[in-house]
Amino acid sequence: MGAGKSTAIQTLSETAVVSTEAANTDRATADKDTTTVALDYGEITLGPDEKVRLYGIPGQQRFDFMWSILKDRAEGMVLLVNNDAADPIGEMLAFLDEFRDLYDRGGVIVAATRSDVSATPTVADYAAALSEHRPDLVVPVFTVDPRKDDQMRTVLMTLVANIEMRSMFAAPAAAVAE
Amino acid sequence: MSVAPHLDPVVVELGRVALRDMRDVSTSLVYSSFLTDDGFEVVHEPDGRVDPNRFASMASSIQALSEAVAREVHIGTSEYVIIAAAQGHVIQLRVPGHPIVLGALFDDDETLGKALSVSRRCATALATALAARPADAPAGGDAHDHAATGGWPAPTASVTA
Repeated sequence: MGAGKSTAIQTLSETAVVSTEAANTDRATADKDTTTVALDYGEITLGPDEKVRLYGIPGQQRFDFMWSILKDRAEGMVLLVNNDAADPIGEMLAFLDEFRDLYDRGGVIVAATRSDVSATPTVADYAAALSEHRPDLVVPVFTVDPRKDDQMRTVLMTLVANIEMRSMFAAPAAAVAE
Repeated sequence: MSVAPHLDPVVVELGRVALRDMRDVSTSLVYSSFLTDDGFEVVHEPDGRVDPNRFASMASSIQALSEAVAREVHIGTSEYVIIAAAQGHVIQLRVPGHPIVLGALFDDDETLGKALSVSRRCATALATALAARPADAPAGGDAHDHAATGGWPAPTASVTA
């Protein structure tokens, strides 16, 4: 909670965002007025016949049923990690495990937020942790300000390219297998 | 900042009384709970059948989604959420004026109308009890805590499964 998911959707979406904010009573975890309790939804157009549907989902474990609902339908994920959290690398690894099947069939990008508040871990720290603990994963890592449209679009387009590239590489293998 | 409803023992006790009163007048009531807008259980009755924390989380999401739909299609303030299934139904509605939602699970022994009626009375009973609290003991926050829903009562909608 507090990584900037709702802000990221607001920044990216070309349509009015559907939000499900509720008053936040868990100020110990994140000192903010509201929190997302179901999802944020927005859209971005890629071309005449293509659009990306954007879903932001709650980070709290108690909403993990929303994770299940949405990850089964998703093509990829931008994992926003609050760099100012107590254990951002641990959170990253835990969420990558939780969404492993989405990585396997789509793509995942890690984007560390609030690096202006906490300079560490650095991108190199995240990459090193991935190499050490999840060496089988190829996950790009960025720092990002969810309020910045250009940064969020770069992350999103990287995700789209990542998904398409992995799909292209996977296709010949599948054909051979047949 | 005021105490969150699920951390306020007075709210918990008043909620428990309201839920027990509802249980006394409804033979089809299986489980009921008051929960916060952000998915924390305030109190539930009885133990056993349902995971209280999970029910509270899911109910808050459903509440928020239904309100988002109501906003999106401009149908104004509706009154409740109904999830109707083969062997029972879940009814959700807001406690008027508070960031608290009542979620109630009924089997099919009584009509949906009866379930809706007792649920509405239960939510109103808690609102009345909270209003009777001393002025220096606000229950579960004030209107400034609820900018996200634009003040109370927030719109609700019906969901039928």
